[in-house]
Amino acid sequence: MTTSLIDRYVFTVLRRVPEGQRSDIERELRTSIEDAVDARVDGGQDRAAAVEQTLLELGDPDRLADGYADRPRYLIGPVFYPAWQRILVMLLSVVLPIVVAVMVVIRILEDASIGEVIGTAVGTALTAGAHMVFWVTLTFAILERTGVARSEVRGRAWSLDDLPRYEPGAPTPVQLVATLGWAVLLIAVIVLQQFAFTEVPVLDPANWSFWWPYLIGVLILEGVYAVWLFRRGAWSRTVAVVNAVLAAMFAIPVTWLAANERFFNPEWIATLDWGATDPLAWLTGATICIAVGGSLYDVVEVAVRSERARRGLPTPVPGTGREFSAPLS
Amino acid sequence: MTMDATLSGHLQELRRGTVVVASLTVLREPGYGYSLLETLSAAGFEVEANTLYPLLRRLEAQGLLTSSWNTDEARPRKFYRTTEQGDAIAAALRDEWVRLDEAIGDLDHPAGTDSRSEK
Repeated sequence: MTTSLIDRYVFTVLRRVPEGQRSDIERELRTSIEDAVDARVDGGQDRAAAVEQTLLELGDPDRLADGYADRPRYLIGPVFYPAWQRILVMLLSVVLPIVVAVMVVIRILEDASIGEVIGTAVGTALTAGAHMVFWVTLTFAILERTGVARSEVRGRAWSLDDLPRYEPGAPTPVQLVATLGWAVLLIAVIVLQQFAFTEVPVLDPANWSFWWPYLIGVLILEGVYAVWLFRRGAWSRTVAVVNAVLAAMFAIPVTWLAANERFFNPEWIATLDWGATDPLAWLTGATICIAVGGSLYDVVEVAVRSERARRGLPTPVPGTGREFSAPLS
Repeated sequence: MTMDATLSGHLQELRRGTVVVASLTVLREPGYGYSLLETLSAAGFEVEANTLYPLLRRLEAQGLLTSSWNTDEARPRKFYRTTEQGDAIAAALRDEWVRLDEAIGDLDHPAGTDSRSEK
């Protein structure tokens, strides 16, 4: 009975210990247990009780095994936790809603019932959300276990240059990534809609002779503009003008194409059945609103930023309720 | 959190690491797991077997201890002994311990006031 208790304890420890160390750990652990039991028996205790007491004092065998294996008792440690948390919050609060919204719009355009749309929204949220959490966590758990130091992830140690610049004169890396990402996404949508998403292309294929390549070209210019702005490191009147020109080069042709019913593929429009609403009129209106509204917002926003930067006005720092006043340079 | 829990948490933080110094110091004379456990608890170190045994193997892996199986007696035991490197590290750790003790003593009784007789 008492021997089998010790056996059960030792084997439970060994299960979670690297194979190469098993026999050595087993021998040592058994002698240590026997030594402790003998000491208790010498002190006048009954042998069975001595074994029980000794094992109880050694405690949870899994814990002991973790100690022997020198294994971290966590998935993601303090070094990586902040980055893991930041990326997950960003993915779940920004990227996930966008993905869900895109899927919902596609379903609505496909003329799905309200039930199907809700099903798509819930299904996408759960599936995409689970993927995001899983892959991000897996990546960080691997980083944690392969012992990559934080400075290696960053490429160097933290320095004062890593402090965010809050003055309005400084385009942030987030803005660069957002602008580049937006341009890449739109290009992908323009190209992919020709082959994917729907049975017939959404956009009028006749425009591949000029307008779609032209719009892709403008989007590439937007990307170049974003990189130029970031490397330039400051908003200014020139930036505002360049931005406005680019916005006009995109919005005006889109509006013109939509107004002349040359934006959407007539074959695709014919597949839509929205009851009393005329799909073409509605989509044309929406396209013009988005193109004009979005561009105006962008132009005004950049103009305001540039003007604030020029005058050195304080800018709100997001998430702090504080304002940062940049020194005039 | 109660006062007791707070205190025991801080005590644990403070004691972490002392077992390493004590073990490296004791094991200048070869010893095995259970004997070291006894020596340490007799000396007033609150150390548990399930922390000490894995710790010995870790110190061995770091080259601060060496080990050999002694099969002369009826029960074969794994004896650990502090290496030269381990001894040097233990000496550095003891120096640091003394330095910290003095530094904390100085903070407790700032210069000018006579320290020990004051109580």
